[in-house]
Amino acid sequence: MSAPVETSTGAGTEVSASVEAADASTAGLSFQERWGDRLNPLVVKEVRQGLRTRVFWACFGLMLLACLVLALVAFVHTREEAFAHHGQGYFFAFFICLAVVHFFVIPYSAYRSLAREREDDTWVLLVLTGLGPRRILRGKVSSFLVQAALYASAVGPFLLFSYYLNGISLPSILAVLGLGGAWLVFLTVVAVCAATLADSRMGRAFVHFVVLGVLGLAFSAALGISGALSDSGNRLLSNDGVHLAMGIGLGLMLLDGWLLFEVAASRLSLSTEDYTRGPRRVMVVQMLVALVVGLGFWWHEDQGHVVTEIFAVCGTLHLAVVGLFVVTDVDGQARALRAATGPVSLFRPGALRGFRLTMLLLVGWAGVWAALALVSGKTNHGSESMRMLMAVMPAYVILYLSLALVLGRMPRSDRFSSPASVRLLFVAAVGVAAGLPPLVAALVGIEMGDPLLNLLNPVVGIANFGAHDYATAEPGMAWPLVAFVVGVALLVAFMADRVLVEREKRAHLP
Amino acid sequence: MSPLLEVKGLRRDYGALRAVDDVSFHLEPGSILGFIGPNGAGKSTTLRILATLDSPTAGEVLLGGHSLVDTPDRVRPLIGYMPDRYGTYDDVTVFEFLDFFARAYGLTGAKRRQRVESVMGFTGLGPLADKLTTALSKGMRQRVALGRTLLHDPQLLLLDEPADGLDPRARIELRELLRALADQGKAVIISSHILTELAEICDTCAIIEQGRLLATGRVEDILRQGASVAAVELMVRLAVGAEADAAWARAERLLLEQPRVARVSREGESLRVGLELEAGAGAGQVDAAAAGLLSALVTAGLPVCSFGMRERNLEDAFMTVTKGRLA
Repeated sequence: MSAPVETSTGAGTEVSASVEAADASTAGLSFQERWGDRLNPLVVKEVRQGLRTRVFWACFGLMLLACLVLALVAFVHTREEAFAHHGQGYFFAFFICLAVVHFFVIPYSAYRSLAREREDDTWVLLVLTGLGPRRILRGKVSSFLVQAALYASAVGPFLLFSYYLNGISLPSILAVLGLGGAWLVFLTVVAVCAATLADSRMGRAFVHFVVLGVLGLAFSAALGISGALSDSGNRLLSNDGVHLAMGIGLGLMLLDGWLLFEVAASRLSLSTEDYTRGPRRVMVVQMLVALVVGLGFWWHEDQGHVVTEIFAVCGTLHLAVVGLFVVTDVDGQARALRAATGPVSLFRPGALRGFRLTMLLLVGWAGVWAALALVSGKTNHGSESMRMLMAVMPAYVILYLSLALVLGRMPRSDRFSSPASVRLLFVAAVGVAAGLPPLVAALVGIEMGDPLLNLLNPVVGIANFGAHDYATAEPGMAWPLVAFVVGVALLVAFMADRVLVEREKRAHLP
Repeated sequence: MSPLLEVKGLRRDYGALRAVDDVSFHLEPGSILGFIGPNGAGKSTTLRILATLDSPTAGEVLLGGHSLVDTPDRVRPLIGYMPDRYGTYDDVTVFEFLDFFARAYGLTGAKRRQRVESVMGFTGLGPLADKLTTALSKGMRQRVALGRTLLHDPQLLLLDEPADGLDPRARIELRELLRALADQGKAVIISSHILTELAEICDTCAIIEQGRLLATGRVEDILRQGASVAAVELMVRLAVGAEADAAWARAERLLLEQPRVARVSREGESLRVGLELEAGAGAGQVDAAAAGLLSALVTAGLPVCSFGMRERNLEDAFMTVTKGRLA
């Protein structure tokens, strides 16, 4: 973009500046300046801003002071006992100093930074520069991680000092610091995502309190885990179960952190942008990764039936939660996006495509695990019931997601059609369907968990289908009932699909 | 000259609410358009659509021949948007603020530095480069915001209520800056509900109310619209204290009962009266109508201290065009 010769008027001074002429002097830039040009502009700005805040210097000063005092206490305490094992306690004490900043101050500052950006309307100015929501968010997260690194650099020598106090192994220290780092990144992403959730003043106040609460809990959890690891790290780290739990934890942090990041970017995108591509792509990747991991477990466990049951149920629950947000997107999409949208462009904006993608994933997920369950070697008495459960659970999810869409978007009035309204309708529909049949059963004097009355009950129904009658060695329910639930779910899903097609047509009318 | 911006049949619905309804206008390079309307008239919504921050329900916007609706990414670099809130950051200096946005616009190295210095010179911010933005006056913060808008050398400037809250001096300086920008060939759209300032800055204006464009064209043409209404300003000495409101109401009622009086509005101790005349009425007829009104008021016992004809301005044109139906 070129700039013309400009004439100053406001201050009354004449300025003549041909920007093109400046290009010639680019070669004379220092390495630092050239490197700075490559950095995300948000990182430069946020770090500059962050280092000027009172919060940074107060936290930095207090943290350093606390560490110094602790180090002095440790020195005095261990001076007489050269071979005593005090490392564990002091390491944990130093880590607490860092944890306050890393697991509370940094994520909360990241949250406030983005929230203020939205409250002060500076967000739109950033968007108009062409940086794009993803790059802006990456800049935000990175800048706070840079600040976190500055804090860590101050506490690092003290942590190392605790190693020389004996009693804590290097692997334990590395495990705590590694997990702590991952937790810091995850919490910062969660906080940034939370800042995008609410638009109204009330909503923002509510989210603010939730964030404070969640960060408080996250801080406590971090202390609990790091305390356990520093206390009996060697024993825990030699346990395969702990390795597995750590691996699963890190995997979940990575995948869910990625999903939340994409959700935040999507919420900050303009309606003319392809704002759903990111979250929907992550949703599919999550399911594929879970499938690969599940297959690995299944193979490792000699094709055990239990693995298929666990993965089928957990995956369906995950899809139900994520799918609720995907299917409740607004109807239609901006004109700029329509030309490139085909019938299978399921990542593109619009509730219709979100709904179809979620349905496909639910059916696909159920199909894969049902097939694996059929070929599984190890079965037990309850296997038949669990197969039924694996079949009906996605059906319940499909049924209630579709029902909420039909209730919210079938009427011509837009009163209940907003994304938030449809989500509330989903919760209400599930609540009513779960509570009403047992209540009716109690009133008419039959068993509250009656299988037929609770056939479409998403809680008792699932429990009934999963139950196995050990007295008769038969499953609690029959396959025709499974077929009935699946049939109803598909019928309502078809209705929802037609409703969304109709609404998209209406939204695209000139 | 071919128009830089063409807006055709723009419409924006929010559910059942139609915020912008069939708005059409065009703008040539180097001209300044005043977008006039009361709060909630649809000015900011239209500007947000023109800034590519929102998409219209229907209609077309062409900027430099490219559709803003179909290819927003392509036209965005041509637009400089300044929202009604200045949008500056705490704990950054003026230079750092502009430098940050210059980086965000993709300017690098010496080119970036040169551009920031050029913009600071143009807006008169040079001496304040190292000051924190929070330490600046409102007028200076507004200059910083304008400077940010100019960093990427846009062809179309969209300024939403730029003079809101500025003191008279800052307003005059803003006017000079905008005129200089127009002289450089940039097209400028300014939305405002402070009509007096717009008449002095703008070449053309568009009056919008309840989402509909009621009048558009050169300021002189707009002023001529509804010229069959003459404005009279009179000052009356009325009772003070508890009875003041009732006395003012009586005076207004009395005025409205007079022939040719179309509307009455109170401004402090003065009353502004609109006299309705036949189309194409000459100066003699205007004088006769004013004299008749004065005579009637004196006869009715209204204590008139001063009485005079007032030159017609954009505010009168606005009231005529909108028929006083303020939202």
